[in-house]
Amino acid sequence: MKTALAITLIWLFSSVANAEYRKIDMTVFGMDCAPCAHAIHVSMKGISGVKTVDVNLNTGLVKVDLAAGNTAGFSLFQDAVKKNGFTYKGAIIVVHGTLTGPANSPALMVSGTNDRYALTPALQPADLTGLVGKTVEVSGLLSQAPKNQLPTTLRYKTIMEVQ
Amino acid sequence: MKFLLVVTCALALVTTALAADHGPAFGYATPVNSQGEWSFDTGLIGRYGSRGTQFTEGSQFGYGITPQITWTTVLPATFGSGDLPETRMAGGGEWASSLAWRFQHDVTSVGRRVESTASLGAVVPGPQQDSGVLANLHRAPGFAATLASGMASRSTYVWFGGGYTRFAEADHDRRPDTISWSAVYGYRPVQLRRDINHWDYRGFLELTGEHTGNLRSQGIVVPDSSSTTLWLGPSVLAIFKDVAIEGGIQGPLYRDVSESIYGREKIRFVVNLSYLKYSSHAN
Repeated sequence: MKTALAITLIWLFSSVANAEYRKIDMTVFGMDCAPCAHAIHVSMKGISGVKTVDVNLNTGLVKVDLAAGNTAGFSLFQDAVKKNGFTYKGAIIVVHGTLTGPANSPALMVSGTNDRYALTPALQPADLTGLVGKTVEVSGLLSQAPKNQLPTTLRYKTIMEVQ
Repeated sequence: MKFLLVVTCALALVTTALAADHGPAFGYATPVNSQGEWSFDTGLIGRYGSRGTQFTEGSQFGYGITPQITWTTVLPATFGSGDLPETRMAGGGEWASSLAWRFQHDVTSVGRRVESTASLGAVVPGPQQDSGVLANLHRAPGFAATLASGMASRSTYVWFGGGYTRFAEADHDRRPDTISWSAVYGYRPVQLRRDINHWDYRGFLELTGEHTGNLRSQGIVVPDSSSTTLWLGPSVLAIFKDVAIEGGIQGPLYRDVSESIYGREKIRFVVNLSYLKYSSHAN
């Protein structure tokens, strides 16, 4: 019983620490009809690690929840939009990763992927001194990248250490 | 009963392919398949005239090569005995394969697109003989080109398009060149702008026109064999996720047709069933 509890706790903590993109809410342009939305749904749902996809045609909002421990990079979601003939305005994400760099010029390495974002505050800058080198959960906005490029800057709203 | 069963089966086959366009029943439109998306359409197109009715059972296959380029093949079969002018917008027995390229694509707001699509393809005679005056002609392959431009949104659709088909000569015979054009207005009421777990409906008003040139038989132009017609009518498209059903009907607005050669075409109608096979993302 103790062993099972220990394994469960280890799994829980490790999955939280390794979990990468947890939520991606993208505003997708150009979806006029149900097949458009269904195509996006099928494409996103086919990405390994995606738990649920919800598409709202009237707002264009595509909400994706991901499983803990996934290794899906943001490019997969960007490609899913592109291959269906649409574009996206931006994405509000919740992501886990490692905070690197000096505290006054921080970056986020999204573990399990090659994704790396320069962090800039969306509102008030946070004091990140104590978080450098640690695993953090960041929520913020990824702006639309130029064609065939990935976003490079994450405008964060909140950053907190993941225990 | 058997007739109903045959028609039902034919429609069941047809519906899987024609919804690929997500668009009007008769007119030209701009949508293309998603990358990796297969579409299967099957439909029944009818032309009723004073000298009989001609049906075309069309099966169409489409594949999205890229998000902007779609390959399409149409394999129709005709039955009935209509004595009618050549058409490229309401059936016909020619097999065709084409590439459509959405060369202009502005997607800059929620639920709205402005786009233009051109297509070019080969047209070859199908295995079935035509009826009426066209039945006496030797047939040869040709080419077909179309261009469509317009806007799609959650509420409104507007498309304008045109096409040109030209056939080669065979044994001094030649089928007529065909110039076709269309204007389509579509609307989805507020109450029907729902999410993907409901049927998606929209209605269209379709204006189409065709001009067919004179046909040539044994090297001689057949007098009064050209035709010009304008057609107007409604259609309705219903889609649920990856299945679509569409029906439409048109009546003539204008006819400049030799009734001694072709009779008097009175009604065009179409019923389509489509199945869209989207590809999931490859990791």
